[in-house]
Amino acid sequence: MSRPRRSHGVGKPDLVLSIPSDNAFLSLVRDLTKKLAQGAGFDDTTAGRVALAVDEATTNVIEHAYHGAKDREVLIRFSDRGADFRIDVVDTGDTVDPRSVPRFNLEQYVSERRTGGLGMHLMGKIMDSVTFRRSGGRNVCGLVKHKRERDSEEH
Amino acid sequence: MSELTVETRDVEDVTLLYPKGFINAHTVRLFEGELQKSLEQKRFKIVVNCAGLAYIASAGLGAIMGAIEEIRTNGGDLRLANLNETVLNIFEILGFNHLYRIFPSEVEAIMSFRQETGAAS
Repeated sequence: MSRPRRSHGVGKPDLVLSIPSDNAFLSLVRDLTKKLAQGAGFDDTTAGRVALAVDEATTNVIEHAYHGAKDREVLIRFSDRGADFRIDVVDTGDTVDPRSVPRFNLEQYVSERRTGGLGMHLMGKIMDSVTFRRSGGRNVCGLVKHKRERDSEEH
Repeated sequence: MSELTVETRDVEDVTLLYPKGFINAHTVRLFEGELQKSLEQKRFKIVVNCAGLAYIASAGLGAIMGAIEEIRTNGGDLRLANLNETVLNIFEILGFNHLYRIFPSEVEAIMSFRQETGAAS
């Protein structure tokens, strides 16, 4: 884990986790995400969902950007910026165009036994914003969850 | 502690699976393997007791989806019991609660197979 650096907005310094692109580290990612989300004020249920979204984003990087190679690096940057809790999942692998991922459709999923797009769909359902961009030779998947007065009113 | 263990138990013609831990891209092969063993043994009435399941990611849902056609084609079904709030919520978010029958307890899930057998005879 690298030294924290100051985020651009008002709030706590960023925390950056660096892991090898090995899905054996997913539980570490999940546990840390959940703890930080709880620390940002989310209830246990919402924190668990945010952790699942980050698990899915990290899995996507390992499977699609790095094609299962275990010796690459995945950076996960956590920013607690007052009204938002933001997580960036960063890789230097192949760029995956999110538009190329099939949109999740339950009926098609059943009839065609399709499994693609499920993780992406889940991320979109859990988070308030999911974005993909290319920056400085890196792919950045940005996940944002807004803090609300009553988390129980969320999804 | 292991990230996932899956114990199995047979109650007459129903096979019970007890995943304990979590199912994600790292652990899904173990879960898939246990599911596959049931199918190889021609046991198509399956109850997954999720009492020990902390969470399930899309990889785990894909594993269930990958097996369901063979299970149902052979006159069986995969039913779920004892889902915690986190796991139930994931099923509901995706609409999977409309694809699979979910029961509050293992006994009720087993009994649902019995009732069908009784109705058919």
